[in-house]
Amino acid sequence: MEALAIELVGVGKRFGARTVLAGVDLRVPRGGRLGVIGPATAGKSVLLKIIAGLHHPEAGLVRVAGRIGMLFQNCALFDFLNVADNVAFPLVHEGGVPDHEIAARVTARLRAVGLAGSEHKLPAELSGGMKKRVGLARATVASPDVVLYDEPTAGLDPVTTAKIYQLLCADHDASGGTAVVVSSDVEAVAAFADTIAFVDSGGVRWVGPAAELCDADDDVVRGFARGTP
Amino acid sequence: MSRTPIQHPGQVRRAVTAVGSRTLEAAAAAAELGTVAAQATSGAVFGYWRGKRPRGGIARQMYYVGNRSLLFVLVTLGFVGMVMVYQTCLLTTKVVDGRNQVGAQWIRLLVLDVGPSLTAMMLATRVGAGIAAEIGSMKVTEQLDALRMSGVTPVRYLIVPRFLACVVMTVVLTMFGVASSWAAGGLTGYYSFQINPRIFFDLSMVAPAHVVVGVIKAAAFGAAIPIVSGFCGLRARGSSEGVGAATTAAVIGSSFAVIVLDLVISFVAMTAFGAG
Repeated sequence: MEALAIELVGVGKRFGARTVLAGVDLRVPRGGRLGVIGPATAGKSVLLKIIAGLHHPEAGLVRVAGRIGMLFQNCALFDFLNVADNVAFPLVHEGGVPDHEIAARVTARLRAVGLAGSEHKLPAELSGGMKKRVGLARATVASPDVVLYDEPTAGLDPVTTAKIYQLLCADHDASGGTAVVVSSDVEAVAAFADTIAFVDSGGVRWVGPAAELCDADDDVVRGFARGTP
Repeated sequence: MSRTPIQHPGQVRRAVTAVGSRTLEAAAAAAELGTVAAQATSGAVFGYWRGKRPRGGIARQMYYVGNRSLLFVLVTLGFVGMVMVYQTCLLTTKVVDGRNQVGAQWIRLLVLDVGPSLTAMMLATRVGAGIAAEIGSMKVTEQLDALRMSGVTPVRYLIVPRFLACVVMTVVLTMFGVASSWAAGGLTGYYSFQINPRIFFDLSMVAPAHVVVGVIKAAAFGAAIPIVSGFCGLRARGSSEGVGAATTAAVIGSSFAVIVLDLVISFVAMTAFGAG
């Protein structure tokens, strides 16, 4: 049997009277790359935050094997810390990592995302793409087993989008970790992920190989993937 | 006398549901405030000193709460001292000439009540609003979620340093505020009513118990401001509008907490030590 990194069984979530997710079942094997797509307000980001443990579901079961890193939709960089301190934050607060090792890992991660030399800049001095790359470095600096990406390319131009996905691919090729990407950029996410889950009206409507997304047997999913109403 | 009949049974159900929902929300908010207060207090006493903590966090907050508020507190309490002494002198002159008692009574009132509560009210507007705005904007930009993802409790990381700084600096600022108000009152008494400064600056009415109660009040107010403001910031929702609402709620909530605590501590001090 395949080892699972993430398992969701019958997960439900409500905010007040509004049901956001109901009866969501999802399995991601260890080392798998899952892309989550769907219309706006379908509950994709909520699903990601439930996996991360930031939201508690009212119903169902969530199992995640190993440690989690997360890239937030708005990057969520700490605006009172510079780039290096932002990236070092998970390691500093993990405890037990010597300062020289933290410095070495931060330097390596910043070099990997192409931000060597920007260590002392504050988030307010960075462009949108640079913020995403700092967020990416922070999400992966502690070598998590599972990395969650919430709209990693929202608001970025096509060139920067391509660069971000190249970084994601390079990271996961190197680490072999599990990735879950929530994105509205269907083409890019289908190229990165091996499996796609289509979330709609609080449930998972379709799950299948990314290569079969445009030929899905569900009209709504196929239309969404092809960008046709 | 005729009463308007209830048109639809559904109206009653909706009204009861609305009242019940509001009550449950208020109870949940009270429980959350209690949790923040407990976490902040225990974090300040036990947890903050263990493990990694923000470098220079408390010193930075002390500078922000104390140094940056000093002029504000000095000027405000100075003016209050001038107005209060002027008005009291006017009144005592009309009734019976008790101007010589004004200075001694004013410093007693300042130490016991007016100094701590007015200083805290000033800090509730300046510092409380700042704390709520800062934490609220971190909430709506997912920075608090990012803290949690790193295994950091937002209350411990953000509220505890502000709690410690506020407790210390409210006491310190109260001392400066009392001095400013007393001095300004003395000058007003001398120039407007020819009260001899040696008579005005008379400490004979201030007992050690009054000072203790004043310090306890200042520390309690200093503890309440970051707890209430931080709680309001943590509950911010949506975007900038939510942060604005949290800031307003923080100023109102902190000021209200100061007034309620003032009443409670005064009552306890009066019944226990006769120093209310």
